[in-house]
Amino acid sequence: MILSCRDIYKRFGGIKAIDGCTFAVEQNKITAIIGPNGSGKTTMFNVISKLVKMDRGIIEFNGKDVTPLKDYEFARLGISRTFQDVKLFQNLTIKEHLQIAISASNERFFLNLLKGKASETMFINEVLDLVGLDKQIDTYATDLSYGQRKLLDLAIAIAKPHTLLMLDEPVAGVNPRLRDSIKEILRELNDRGESILLIEHDMNFVMDLVDHIFVMDAGRVIAEGVPEEIQKNPNVLEAYLGK
Amino acid sequence: MSLLAQSIINGLITGSIYALVAAGYSLIYSTNNFMHFAHGISVVAAGYMVYWLFTVTGTPFYLTCILTIFFSAFFGLAMYRLIYLPLQKRGASNVILLIASIGILIFFQNVIQIIFGSGVKLVGYIEVVSGVTFAGITMTPLQIVILVVSFIIFILLYQFMQKTKLGRNMRAVSNNRELASIVGINHIRVSDYSFLIGSALAGVAGILVALEQNLSPFMGTNLMIKGFTGAVIGGINNVPGSIVGSFVLGMAENLGILVLPSGYKDAIAFSLLFLFLLFKPTGILGKKEGRFDK
Amino acid sequence: MISAYLSAYHTHVLILIFIYIILVVSLNLALGYTGLLNLGHVAFFGIGAYTSALLALEGLTYLAAMIAAGLFASVFGYLLVIATDRLKGDYLAMATLGFSFVVYSLLLNLGEITRGAMGIPGIPKPSILGITFLTNDEYLVFVFLICLISVFIMYRIVNSPFGKLLEATRDNAVCLRVLGKNTLSLKYKAMMISAFFAGISGSLYAHYITFIDPTSFYISELILVLTIVIVGGLASIKGSIVATTVIIYLPELLRLLEMPSSVMGPARQAIYALILIAILMIRPRGLFGKVDLE
Repeated sequence: MILSCRDIYKRFGGIKAIDGCTFAVEQNKITAIIGPNGSGKTTMFNVISKLVKMDRGIIEFNGKDVTPLKDYEFARLGISRTFQDVKLFQNLTIKEHLQIAISASNERFFLNLLKGKASETMFINEVLDLVGLDKQIDTYATDLSYGQRKLLDLAIAIAKPHTLLMLDEPVAGVNPRLRDSIKEILRELNDRGESILLIEHDMNFVMDLVDHIFVMDAGRVIAEGVPEEIQKNPNVLEAYLGK
Repeated sequence: MSLLAQSIINGLITGSIYALVAAGYSLIYSTNNFMHFAHGISVVAAGYMVYWLFTVTGTPFYLTCILTIFFSAFFGLAMYRLIYLPLQKRGASNVILLIASIGILIFFQNVIQIIFGSGVKLVGYIEVVSGVTFAGITMTPLQIVILVVSFIIFILLYQFMQKTKLGRNMRAVSNNRELASIVGINHIRVSDYSFLIGSALAGVAGILVALEQNLSPFMGTNLMIKGFTGAVIGGINNVPGSIVGSFVLGMAENLGILVLPSGYKDAIAFSLLFLFLLFKPTGILGKKEGRFDK
Repeated sequence: MISAYLSAYHTHVLILIFIYIILVVSLNLALGYTGLLNLGHVAFFGIGAYTSALLALEGLTYLAAMIAAGLFASVFGYLLVIATDRLKGDYLAMATLGFSFVVYSLLLNLGEITRGAMGIPGIPKPSILGITFLTNDEYLVFVFLICLISVFIMYRIVNSPFGKLLEATRDNAVCLRVLGKNTLSLKYKAMMISAFFAGISGSLYAHYITFIDPTSFYISELILVLTIVIVGGLASIKGSIVATTVIIYLPELLRLLEMPSSVMGPARQAIYALILIAILMIRPRGLFGKVDLE
């Protein structure tokens, strides 16, 4: 188990956003969380990456209890994530985004002033090559198209040192061709041994790509299994269509 | 004991002037959602208007008051129409509007200084007479006038906000601008009125300040900080709250200097402002707003 | 005779320009590059000026006093960020403004140390390694060198990987935390660097004018510095340098109008305020700005 969440609870005012959610993600697999809108998937992502403080529950990462860690501390341990509404640094170039993602210690500014430019260019080019942004390396984020922003967000998450990649709706709003190439990118990453956890509404994409699925509804997991099992599960249909 | 009672009375008097400044300020803030820091200069401009009309040109006092209130109201409206609204149309953030309003404050402060000079001015309508002493507490007739006038105005303002259609529209816009637009309230018009009425209140405050204190071009910043502090203590987007907060501030200043040297009066206010912004930015009575990072 | 007067006068203006370049670039480092909405920057300037002046009068050598001024200011920078981290937008702006009011009233009221409103006269001219910069020409060379070093360091900082992190903090702090960066620590480091150089420029100012009082570090000074940063453009050191030169020089043209000196001061302030309002309305990104003020 690379990541395990047990009995997570989170309320927003009177709304139970997460209501006793439990699941675990296995190493070297692609795992998906699916579920209707408002079922708590993105909140769960935010809870895991510590952007939202949970009320109760335990999160373990590689067998280590990470519950009390701050967002950036957990990120340093090896969680990488993207956002549904792509989050970028508008006034920085693609290259600068990746430089920030790669280096773990460049907030120590005295060291930084002394140190010259590191030879990280090769790795950056490799990642950009993978997502197909290698030609725009010096473009500012604000000048990118929606699809390119989506790819850059993915590239940052890949470039950041990590052991688990969490993707929030990686193909939402992108055209079919880009969707297929993102699918290929994820497959290739998985072949290299990456563990991936993703949220996605596009069922064709999910069923075709992932190894394991958790279905969330009303803040808890109502079903899990391999794609074939989920497709046959009556509870899942009920959750999507209503009772 | 009588020293304490005297301090409380002094706190009430100072508080009522702060409250007049704060009420107008927070009326404008609650309808427009940005900080009209230049509100302080409306008060000072009104004060100088009284000085010029009454003391220099010899206009009758009550006419002076009426003219001053009108002048102040339209002065505020002009700031909205000529500066804030064009900025808003350009999509300026609240911070830009705040910075612009500080700019307006400084600009007019210096214009007043150029016209009237930096020396203090005395209006001298009510002569300084020995106060009325009752149970060991001394109040001058002017201070009684200040208390009475401001309380009448607060009651009128409350009635206006609760009972009139315009008052309800203002509260509607302050609660939810988009929803107010959907139900057909023209929010620019409502903003116009908020500036007119808020600045008219500044006019009243200016008249009372002119009667009670010496006028100086630089008093705007200080008055604005005091009014703003009162508003923050009570709840900046809540007019009754900001009035209560201003009295709390007036009290705190006057009771505070019982234990601290009198020079610390301003320091008390500034520190309260800073502490409330840090720990309770919604104030004692204010509504919760999404002012924090999650 | 005239050429001698002009050159002495220009020396004076040039010295001020170099002092202000340090102050303005340091504010731009926080406000423009890191997106720290700081309306209290003049407080750091004041803290630096007082620290340096008082230490030098106690007999500390100039260089040590200047460094101490920077360090002491940056301690306050740290405290300000830690205290206001939860606030954002105009509330943050007001809290930082409130901070500068608190510092102002402390300078005014801690009379035992700061001599309050009387100010500190007779601040010694700097002396380093046995060389005392007595004349303005000598001081100009000294200020120019310090300015060059300071701006070079800040230029290196904003162009280093650390500087890119500061810009990333401004653009999207949440995303940066998800990438494993401690944004709070980035913010206070940026503010401490910014405050350090503001403190240095305060020291240069105090030892040039040789007299300081609290009014030199209040809201009108803030308007000047803000105006210059915004005119030059956020996140542009080049812009800050150009704008400082132009804006410090510009009102000196008023001298040609031969106004009485009682009008000169306020006229200059009014012009600064007017420029600020105008730039916000016409060209909010300033001359070379890259980013908007959120």
